[in-house]
Amino acid sequence: MTSLLILIPLFSVMVLNLPSRTMMRRFAFWLSLTLAASQVCLAAFFGTGLWSSPLDIYGSFFRFNLAVDNLSRIMLLSVGIVVLTAILVGRETIKDENQHFNFTNLMLLVLAGMNGVVTTVDVFSLYVFMEITAVASFVLIALQKERDALEASFKYIVFSALASVMMLSAIALLLMTSGGTGFAGISQSLKSLPANPLTLLAMGLFVCGLFIKGGAMPFHGWLPDAYSAAPAPVSILLAGIVTKTLGIYTLIRIAGFVLGPNYALNSILLLIGALSIVAGALAALGQKDFKRMLAYSSISQVGYIVIGLGCGTPLGIFGAVFHLFNHSVFKSLLFANSAAVESQTGTRNMERLGGLAERMPRTGATSIIGFLSAAGIPPLAGFWSKTIIVVALWQAGFRAYSSVAVMAGAITLAYFLSMQHRVFFGKIKEELKSVKEANFNLLLPALFLAAITVGVGILFPFVHDTFITSFFR
Amino acid sequence: MDNVLLLFLIVPLAAGILALLVPGKARGPKELIILAATFLNLLIAAVFFKTGLTYSFPWVPGIGLEFSLRLYHFSAFIILAAAAFAFLIALYSIVSLAEKPYAKQFFAYFLITLGFVNGAVLADNLLLLLFFWEGQLITLFLMISVGNKAAFKTATKALIIVGITDLCLMVGIALTGHLAGTLTISKINLPLDALGGMAFVFLMIGAISKAGSMPFHSWIPDAAVDAPLPFMAFLPASLEKLIGIYLLARISLDMFQLHPASWISTMMMIIGAVTILLAVMMALVQTDYKRLLSYHAISQVGYMVLGIGTAVPIGIVGGLFHMINHAMYKSCLFLTGGAVEKQAGTTSLDKLGGLARKMPITFACFIVAAAAISGAPPFNGFFSKELVYDGALERGFIFYLAAVAGSFLTAASFLKLGHAAYLGKIREENRNVKEAPLLMLIPMVVIALGCIVFGVYNKLPLQALIQPILGPERLAGHSFAGWPAKAALVIATFVVLAAAFLNHRFGVRKNGSGLKASDHIHYAPILRGIYDRAEKRFFDPYDIGLKAVNMLSEIAWQCDRAVDWIYDTLVVRVTYACTHQIKKAHNGNYATYLVWSLVGFLLVVVFLLQSVKM
Repeated sequence: MTSLLILIPLFSVMVLNLPSRTMMRRFAFWLSLTLAASQVCLAAFFGTGLWSSPLDIYGSFFRFNLAVDNLSRIMLLSVGIVVLTAILVGRETIKDENQHFNFTNLMLLVLAGMNGVVTTVDVFSLYVFMEITAVASFVLIALQKERDALEASFKYIVFSALASVMMLSAIALLLMTSGGTGFAGISQSLKSLPANPLTLLAMGLFVCGLFIKGGAMPFHGWLPDAYSAAPAPVSILLAGIVTKTLGIYTLIRIAGFVLGPNYALNSILLLIGALSIVAGALAALGQKDFKRMLAYSSISQVGYIVIGLGCGTPLGIFGAVFHLFNHSVFKSLLFANSAAVESQTGTRNMERLGGLAERMPRTGATSIIGFLSAAGIPPLAGFWSKTIIVVALWQAGFRAYSSVAVMAGAITLAYFLSMQHRVFFGKIKEELKSVKEANFNLLLPALFLAAITVGVGILFPFVHDTFITSFFR
Repeated sequence: MDNVLLLFLIVPLAAGILALLVPGKARGPKELIILAATFLNLLIAAVFFKTGLTYSFPWVPGIGLEFSLRLYHFSAFIILAAAAFAFLIALYSIVSLAEKPYAKQFFAYFLITLGFVNGAVLADNLLLLLFFWEGQLITLFLMISVGNKAAFKTATKALIIVGITDLCLMVGIALTGHLAGTLTISKINLPLDALGGMAFVFLMIGAISKAGSMPFHSWIPDAAVDAPLPFMAFLPASLEKLIGIYLLARISLDMFQLHPASWISTMMMIIGAVTILLAVMMALVQTDYKRLLSYHAISQVGYMVLGIGTAVPIGIVGGLFHMINHAMYKSCLFLTGGAVEKQAGTTSLDKLGGLARKMPITFACFIVAAAAISGAPPFNGFFSKELVYDGALERGFIFYLAAVAGSFLTAASFLKLGHAAYLGKIREENRNVKEAPLLMLIPMVVIALGCIVFGVYNKLPLQALIQPILGPERLAGHSFAGWPAKAALVIATFVVLAAAFLNHRFGVRKNGSGLKASDHIHYAPILRGIYDRAEKRFFDPYDIGLKAVNMLSEIAWQCDRAVDWIYDTLVVRVTYACTHQIKKAHNGNYATYLVWSLVGFLLVVVFLLQSVKM
């Protein structure tokens, strides 16, 4: 039944584009919304058992090799939440009807692609789903055909191409050494064979490809432009889930479960993670553009996930997954807020903003929740995941990395406070006096995401009992 | 029956609280309360004087705190003396503070202090003693602070100095309790070994600072100017001397085995001698009636500490006798000062003069008390000083010399004071000054008569009050009453007094007036520099301490600034420098970014490959 996750969005796109597409336009938004919302509900409230139930007749037509474990389930949930948010925000910010219809179709494609990525158990299928998602993303970035967006999209294509080359080569090498592309087969053969240069090269290629996709330093060159130039809902989608699924989730799956654990690989992950955390945070400190600052912040947060993964212990990997989920939530929240600010004031330049909390109280308040969670302030969700990562690093003996992770929290707080101060606090500027609070479609996702952040943080014992224990089973 | 001892606490404390409650504006109630309470206190002190009573119940058994009171000959003597002074000074303050707005508060604190003093004297448990001792600290602060505008600062000074020494007392009590295994004073008898000596020194600091000895004295001259006058007569002049020296005598005679050979005895004598000389030197150059007296209040403590410190019976008897004598003549002197202040409106000596004819009774009291403090026969001071001289001479000539030099300067400064205030030409603005009111005169006269009686008939205080304190085995059959035994010492005293008189004549002739009679000493070559610095408070331990504390805070502040600078400036600058470099590296050219990625990739692969070869 897992295959439905891929097939339903795919067929929906086809149906929407049948000759009757003018009729379908009104219908498209609600369809995509329903799909995303039902995915959230299914992933949140049903265990992994549901997904493995077979569908007899229909199953004989489509033979995907798919499986859902706890990791996939968390990812499905994140995918659903972020896509839902992006769709809601998109309705408000993409005014042109034609563009909006295209946006909806592409969102469904991205949804199908990402669901494939997180459920497949085969490296080659993984690659195919990644490409589906990536191609849809290129178009989404350039959706409104602005000059910056086109340039950013082109940069993304170039870097993605490089990543694709690397990963394809790696898959070819793995096929050579282990004779198959299934996760289990590769893992088995790597364990039985002594380490040889070919598999190591494959490993390096694969991991670097994923670093590019995920935007870890120094493979991040495309990322700030893409995030900041894309339309608001696409920024949410990219920052919240696309790069995390294509890059980071896959990295966790490949490095953590298929190729690893490997000591040398873990050292690389730790180093790249620490570099991303510190350099990303420092770069974020110097930004004037709201979204660009959030983009660099994303790099920094990716660093936390990578460093948690590089720790190599189950607790570290869990911390990485948990932080991935939290990051999806709070970063989508902050991008949604930036979209609200941009749509109401017409600018993203923080130097020209100020005192908006007076005019946009709900946006200002949810922004506080979002950035406090990102900076790891208790009792919000981000605190728990960062703490788990720091503790895991300390326990595994990586004291220096642990300290770096803690110290960088101060820089994180610094740039977010500076953002909050420049945009929402202080005295309101004269020209902003007439600004109104964003409308319901922009506020709903922000409130929803803020509620998740607060809820996960406060109900952490519950999260701990249901997810963490099942994760380690 | 034994619980009558509680009356000594209940009467003054309850009256004090009552005085706080009555309306302050009206004349009558508060005056009635303070008179009735002090009189009742005096009455019960007199009635129970000869009885030996103990009363005790466990208060906080866990920490060995027993509420035990003990009235025996020594504490009864102090209680009686304190009660007498309290009554007389209360009588005096009713008139002297009549128009002051703070009179009600002062009376209340006065009574509460009296209650605490009674408690401290009666206490037979060190912790209980500490409780009452610390209680006086609070009322001390309050009594000073109701004075003039600068009084609050002086009160703070007193609070800090006495607070620190009380802390020493606390340490001493803890140490003593640890060594003796009990806190009951009458059961403690410790040898003066290393730890015992330490405990003794801590207790002694608490005791002599209460009495006002150097170097814990420096709040007294300030309080003399700032605090209400009866305060000076009540606490620094009489009650504080009584209980300070009482405690010193208790620890020296009962609680520890003080021998003449021990280093502690020598140390006490040095403290006494230094206090006598330095304080009297300062007294000599004062130009304010009250301030001059206050330095004598310090100087005379030196004789008591010196006397008890000799650890020979004659010295101890002298010290204790001097304690009661000093309380008498010094409170009398302060009362004359208060009378002058009330009638002439000032105590500054350069605005006084020729008051003898206007205030003859006050002047007569002054003459008696001044002669007593200078050690002139046949007044009480003469006899107690002779005993102290004798004891000091027994221990070392140098101590005797210091004591005699102190007497010389004391006499000189009182000749100056009397000359400047009462003799000479009367100033124009003082023409209409009248004799002080009767209620103020009564206490002065009574005390002055006491000075004469204790001198002429010194058998009474010595045999009835003081010698029993030492006990028969220490005295070994001696009695120190009557005319001093050693004629040589008496002759020396006469010579010194005559010299002081001649010195005064010389000073008056040289410098032109009674006020300037000591200027030839004040402005002598080396002394001049020392005096200048002393007047600027270079030697005030409190000010030195303040400076040290300020220096420490300055250093701490600089450290704080440095730490602040690291966080506020250094970290921020370094962070922004890094940020700037990273921003510069992101030039928007994706060729650069691709190179980063490729270099990263190469490094990753190389690292992975070399990890296997090793």
